[in-house]
Amino acid sequence: MKKICSLFFMAGLLFSFKASAIDAGQAESFIKKVTNEGIEQIVNSDVSITEKDARFEKLFNEYFDLDYIAKFVLGRYWKTSTDKQRAEFISVYCDFNTKTWSKRFDEFKGKSFNFVGTTPSNSEGQIFVNTTVDMGQGENPAKVVWRVKDGQSFKIVDIIIENVSLAITARNEYTAYIKQAPNGVDDLIKDLKQKSK
Amino acid sequence: MKKICALFLSFTLVACATNPNGTKMKVSEEESKLEVYNRAMFNFNYQVDKKVLKPIAKGYKAITTQGIRNRVTNFFNNLEEPASAINNLLQGELVGSGQSVARFAINTTLGLLGTFDVASGWGLEKKSNSFDATMAKYCVPDGPFFIMPILGPSTPRYLVGWGVDAFADPMYWALLDKQDEDWAVIATYGSTALKYINKRAENMALLDSLEEGSVDFYATIKSAFLQNRQKFQSICAAPVEDKTSAASYDFDFEDEE
Repeated sequence: MKKICSLFFMAGLLFSFKASAIDAGQAESFIKKVTNEGIEQIVNSDVSITEKDARFEKLFNEYFDLDYIAKFVLGRYWKTSTDKQRAEFISVYCDFNTKTWSKRFDEFKGKSFNFVGTTPSNSEGQIFVNTTVDMGQGENPAKVVWRVKDGQSFKIVDIIIENVSLAITARNEYTAYIKQAPNGVDDLIKDLKQKSK
Repeated sequence: MKKICALFLSFTLVACATNPNGTKMKVSEEESKLEVYNRAMFNFNYQVDKKVLKPIAKGYKAITTQGIRNRVTNFFNNLEEPASAINNLLQGELVGSGQSVARFAINTTLGLLGTFDVASGWGLEKKSNSFDATMAKYCVPDGPFFIMPILGPSTPRYLVGWGVDAFADPMYWALLDKQDEDWAVIATYGSTALKYINKRAENMALLDSLEEGSVDFYATIKSAFLQNRQKFQSICAAPVEDKTSAASYDFDFEDEE
């Protein structure tokens, strides 16, 4: 019994340590800042597409941990890649995402995020910030969850839309691609470069 | 944004095959065969979409306004309320069931056959539910993922749920005993065609951008479809812990298929 109690105590300590490793309020404020900037200065603004892309690129580089995400999405192939391949992949992955997400972000036009609390993460120094987006009359609100990592500053490492994680989707896609490609990671880099043009 | 959700929740052109929980597993020979079939069927569906469905949806989009398409979407959403009411009831969600009944009654009458969602304005929010979710609630396994010709991404449970819910469609009952009359046949096929063309048109921009942003479109759709279905795991009376669910997966860079 004593052992069980101490186990619970330890588990409680561990949980509180993990939960307090990142400040929930600050993480939420960070996401509020990012979404406000994204919607007000990019999506809802009347500037040219080139200017929108430039602003988006800045936001993307500033608030997303692209190196970290790139490493994650390459999955098990990260370990087998050379330093040159890794560096090339990170670079092309960033360009590619800036380009595709700049367009996709337009889907948020006229929408606003409601903040509905945070959820602790199993990964140290990370937290989920939960938001919902009103979809208009007759539609259930959409769930958008932001995975935030605390390092020197807060960074977004994943966005989960209606249970679909963008990082996991990319990881599944890229590992499936590399598995089938004759030249593995090099083919992926080449293809991404082509699509980033 | 609406389109993103619509895609993940309801777009049914393309499908996928892997183990149902997305968990780490050695790919067996059967799964490899299923994967080969799925990729082939995905390509077939993709071609059908490219050559038939998408051009029709483009034309439809050109001759309709967003307002008209919203009315069409509302009309078909309203026809799903009886299925939601029954499934909410089967899952013990009495309030949700009552809400679906009330929404159907209000929107069918005051909302002009469901084309306007009057009930939401009165605070009666939509409580969508499906037989797929009911089966999940009673822990019926999902089964392997496969691509249906034309219909797209599926699992055995998903397909059964879809078929059962179709019986709760008021349109089906309204036209059931009139199938020897031409107008009823036209109405049946016409409404089904309109439903899917409208859905395809509303997802146009998102699908284009998803395809543009992927190097393996099949793998992207497969992954998104599988992840979205993980929401059902938590409603089963004895949920299976799954580390790959979006809310609990570790960013630990471990090997993962």
